[in-house]
Amino acid sequence: MVTNNRLLNRIIFYFLLSITIFMSIFPFVIMLSSSLKVSEDQYTTPPKLIPDRITFENYLDILNPDTFPFLMYFMNSFVVSIITASLSVLIGSLGAYSFARLEYKGRSLIQNGVLFIYMFSGILLVVPLFQMITKIGLYDSKLSLIITYLVLTLPVSLYMLGNYFRTIPEALEEAAFIDGLNRLQVIFRIIIPLSVPAIVTVFIYVFMIAWNEYMFASVFLTSQENMTLPIGLSNLFFTKHYIWGRMMAASLLTAIPIILIFLTLEKFIAGGLTFGGVKE
Amino acid sequence: MSLKTATVDSKKGTKFSLWGNSRKAREARLGYALILPTVLLVSLVIFYPVVYNVWLSFHEVTLNPNKPDIFVGLDNYKRILTDVEFWSAFKTSFIFTASTVIGATLVGLVIALLLNRSFKGRSLVRGIVLLPYVAPVVSVVFAWQYLFNPVFGMVNYYLVDVFGVMSEYVDWVDSSKYAIFMVIIFDIWRLFPFSFLMILAKLQSIPQSLYDAAEVDGANSWQKFLNVTLPELRYVIGSLVILRWIWNFNKFDEIYLLTKQVNVVPVYAYETAFNTYQHGLAATITAILFVFIMIFVFFSVKKVLKW
Repeated sequence: MVTNNRLLNRIIFYFLLSITIFMSIFPFVIMLSSSLKVSEDQYTTPPKLIPDRITFENYLDILNPDTFPFLMYFMNSFVVSIITASLSVLIGSLGAYSFARLEYKGRSLIQNGVLFIYMFSGILLVVPLFQMITKIGLYDSKLSLIITYLVLTLPVSLYMLGNYFRTIPEALEEAAFIDGLNRLQVIFRIIIPLSVPAIVTVFIYVFMIAWNEYMFASVFLTSQENMTLPIGLSNLFFTKHYIWGRMMAASLLTAIPIILIFLTLEKFIAGGLTFGGVKE
Repeated sequence: MSLKTATVDSKKGTKFSLWGNSRKAREARLGYALILPTVLLVSLVIFYPVVYNVWLSFHEVTLNPNKPDIFVGLDNYKRILTDVEFWSAFKTSFIFTASTVIGATLVGLVIALLLNRSFKGRSLVRGIVLLPYVAPVVSVVFAWQYLFNPVFGMVNYYLVDVFGVMSEYVDWVDSSKYAIFMVIIFDIWRLFPFSFLMILAKLQSIPQSLYDAAEVDGANSWQKFLNVTLPELRYVIGSLVILRWIWNFNKFDEIYLLTKQVNVVPVYAYETAFNTYQHGLAATITAILFVFIMIFVFFSVKKVLKW
């Protein structure tokens, strides 16, 4: 009986596990399947998961700069995300070190203030930021997005990096002082090299936020040359490019860099997210 | 006492000059210098806009940047607070937030409990489960619209033709009656991984000795769950519910990209600002939203999380 129970238990477990996996990846399967279909096959009843005819035309179309500005949007997203993530790591490391190791008046006040904005959402800032951006002449520039994303991600950068820095034994730094290094040298020669896992996590976290953001991009940008993927693709949705196969191919290619980065570094990121995300 | 003259060393209570040459003074100066970029950026991009938003909410904002805005006192507030559309948006926000917070937390909890055991490929499965959360909104949104398409979408096909749950095809995307269902299901799907990850991390840190002790007392699995697991999860679930409530009440992207028919408060504010160009009114809506969120934060965060 016991073995029977175990078997039943296992069957139920694997059944539920399959449902979980199916639920998580189904929309991505749909993207793949639809992006490989020719136009007429998109609308069949019953809907088919495996296309009768497989075509790569949709991919060729969106990668061709003459028919679809996908590559331009992709580059814009890439530039904005890379710059934002680098700045966030740099400014975040300096600030986190300040929080973790140095003593000064008002430190905990600043720390709580930064943590407080973790709960903020963009919608509360979008109207005044738009007014400010317009007035200082940053409207329709990538810089406006970089600054905004940088600030919105700083709380998490500071929190995750600060937590990590505190786990580095202070004795290491003391030894370095004796060898004649100053604090700044300690940060760049000891703390940062020892914190690579945390820095990678923060970099990717910020990269993903910048890669995914839609609202500010939709408000701050107006010209095609500056558009990032989220705003560019959603605009195309209302034009002649409203071709399901192409949209799905573009969606999948937008998701792939993130999915690849994520799956290779999953251990880092999952650990980092829980490390920084929930205060105990 | 200004920072310039003296500051008190918190540990020893001795006074020292911030501009002196002691190690303490140099460290404090470095501390300020390193945090300065953060403080400047946050002040400029968060705190100043919040104040500016309140200022805007008392004005009729002109479209021409060279013309001054007109002070209108409380007019915007009167208009919004007596606006039927605002209150209906508030109600929609409430329904959306309550359903998604409960849904995402419950699904996350169930899957975390399910995966909290060792089996082959566990780390891969954990990665896969997180995909809905990490994938770009804009790409998953199109896939969902495809699935829920009223004419050829799989959802209608399976619900009507295969399982017969509904008698006819409905418009999940462009009717306000049904779109809210799609948005809620989508958001639960997108956000459950976050709850899952947090709950799983906590589950793995519960000491086995607690379960052993419960077993000695003759507890079955359900009793162990009720008396050991749940109390240990209280904090993490509390934090998740509160944070998720705050975030989802302010949620814009996912909803607006999926459908224009679910008019929650953030969507209402966005459209007021950028479709009808009434920035003063939009600032009023977000100012009210801000106050509402702050009241919520004040009570829940103070009470439950004891920050």
